[in-house]
Amino acid sequence: MFQYQAEKNPVLNTFFEVFGLRPDSKVNPDEIPLLPIRAFKEMPILCEGLKPELVFKSSGTSGMERSSHQIADPNIYKISIEKEFYRHFPANQYALICHLPGYRQNPDSSLIWMAQHLVNIDPDGLNTFLPDDPDEFYKWKERVQKKGKKILLFGAAFGLLDLAEDQQVEFPETTEILETGGMKTHHREMTKSELRDTLSEGFGIKPGQIHSEYGMCELLSQMYALSGEWFTTPHWVRVTIRNSDNPSKFCNPGEEGKIGIIDLANLHSCSFILTEDRGVMNEKGDFKVLGRWHPENLRGCNFLVDQEI
Amino acid sequence: MENFENHIERVSSAIEQWLQPDNYFLKEAIDRTVNEGMFSFPDVKHRILTLKETLRKENLERWARISGLRPGSLSGKQVLCLHAGNLPLVGIQDLLAVVLTGGTYLGKLSKKDPYLLPTLIRSFKNYQLMNDAYWSTNLEKLAGNKADAVLFAGSKKSVIKVNEKLHSLKIADPDTPRLMRTAHFSIAYIRDNKPETMEQLTDAVFRYGGAGCRSVAIVVAPFHLHSVKCTFTDYVEAFWLKNPQHQKPPESLFHRFAFNKAIGVEQAWLNVFLIEENVERPTDTFILYWMKGGLEEVENIIKKYRDGLQSVYATGDLIGEKMVDLIAEPLSEAQKPPIWWKPDGIDTIEWLQKQV
Repeated sequence: MFQYQAEKNPVLNTFFEVFGLRPDSKVNPDEIPLLPIRAFKEMPILCEGLKPELVFKSSGTSGMERSSHQIADPNIYKISIEKEFYRHFPANQYALICHLPGYRQNPDSSLIWMAQHLVNIDPDGLNTFLPDDPDEFYKWKERVQKKGKKILLFGAAFGLLDLAEDQQVEFPETTEILETGGMKTHHREMTKSELRDTLSEGFGIKPGQIHSEYGMCELLSQMYALSGEWFTTPHWVRVTIRNSDNPSKFCNPGEEGKIGIIDLANLHSCSFILTEDRGVMNEKGDFKVLGRWHPENLRGCNFLVDQEI
Repeated sequence: MENFENHIERVSSAIEQWLQPDNYFLKEAIDRTVNEGMFSFPDVKHRILTLKETLRKENLERWARISGLRPGSLSGKQVLCLHAGNLPLVGIQDLLAVVLTGGTYLGKLSKKDPYLLPTLIRSFKNYQLMNDAYWSTNLEKLAGNKADAVLFAGSKKSVIKVNEKLHSLKIADPDTPRLMRTAHFSIAYIRDNKPETMEQLTDAVFRYGGAGCRSVAIVVAPFHLHSVKCTFTDYVEAFWLKNPQHQKPPESLFHRFAFNKAIGVEQAWLNVFLIEENVERPTDTFILYWMKGGLEEVENIIKKYRDGLQSVYATGDLIGEKMVDLIAEPLSEAQKPPIWWKPDGIDTIEWLQKQV
């Protein structure tokens, strides 16, 4: 993968070259420099000779630059979605209902594409988006129950909170929730554990029935945290926590840093990505997402005071 | 109460005594500061020489007049100064404001600059100007000393932490007036690349390793970086020969250079500093942003990054011009401001007399 992308991807070719790496360099995966994720905001990240069949764009609020991920082979995304999603939520056990109001206005959303794909491929035809009409929802719920499947409600965190608050529809207590952590529709700040408690209370389900998904338009793979906050990766993804002052260095378990990802599903774009998300890893190699990374080494009088008080 | 002239005279004499070349205590403090690697000798020397110029009696009188100083106006009042340590003696203006107003000084000195300021305090004590002063590098040691006002310079992010700490240590309560200054970078607008301009720009950017809030982080010029890159780096190298960069940047700066190269950003890599033709909100110390543009671009940047911006500098006839709500200061004074300059646009003496 390193050789292919170092040779065919002009952005990575130049990036690696600065570190003295050429496509034919023998390199350990952990020594490969990670490209800062904002590269996807700056220019097309695609291997030479390929044309994008799909372009995913991050949502971004007004005035914010949007990331753009050009996808040369959507089949890879399909396989990646199916393999990891069904590993955790087998098709014969779960009926998926997606509630992604904040994302539906973004026609280029990779999340909507993923949800739509999961709806399209369901062999029982039960996977769906949450209908506006409560009657339709109840009819759907009945079909799911007849089929003996569990409901998996998939949505962005704050859309789910609104749903719990509205109480327009009632979910059975066996429902499981898969939240994506997106805070796109509201400015309310909440920690993951507060979110889990609120969702648990709002939907009347046990905290163990709440799971999380970690994904972004720049990645063709998703990570899942089942019944908690620790994410595991598919076998083709390697997550590490990097020292923000020196992204070539790894943080020890328990130490916070930037989340670095090697995603082999990003075959034709860039597999070696340094995110701007703050994370921490445990001894098992699972990781937790703590929020966005904020610069610490501020200019001026700031940083010394920060350290001293 | 002592009259205005006598008070300034006494303050001025104390400063003069402090700056005497044979002041053993100052010499020793400089040695320790340099030997312990806190600042480089050229940085400390530059700072002391600048203060020698700016703290002359007539300048103190001018500041006193501008600010409407009433000596003794803060008599019996305790003022807590939380000093930063990003450059030598960075909090000296706050200390002087307390002494000039006759307040009682409570100082949280920076662990990065713990030796220099106490030598001036010693001098003020010799002149009976700071009899009850108390200071420490450890805020905990000031616990229970109820302040009547707080002077602070630091990041917005640390303000909440600082306030909580002051409250828990019973130094300040929510009603205690506090001057929280959070600006952390400055802008320069140049219109030519004459040697004088480039030398001034080099000093404004690289003095003290670029760590001050008055240090230039964004340059707007009528030409692209690539057209002056070689000339400018010559000035920078000449500057570093006399004033070697003391603090080294984190490795992430090299990653940034690699990233810029990959996405085609024009830049100059100086090993310990990066100049790039691109403008972002300045947060890192070791990056200078360059933008081709004129007054309109300067004003747009001021509006966009007003929160956090300390000063805007210019040369020639633009000095003194209003740019948005800021008055352009001389580029040559970026690192040697007059003693009456207003951090975050606020005169410290005036503020103390109004608020306390």
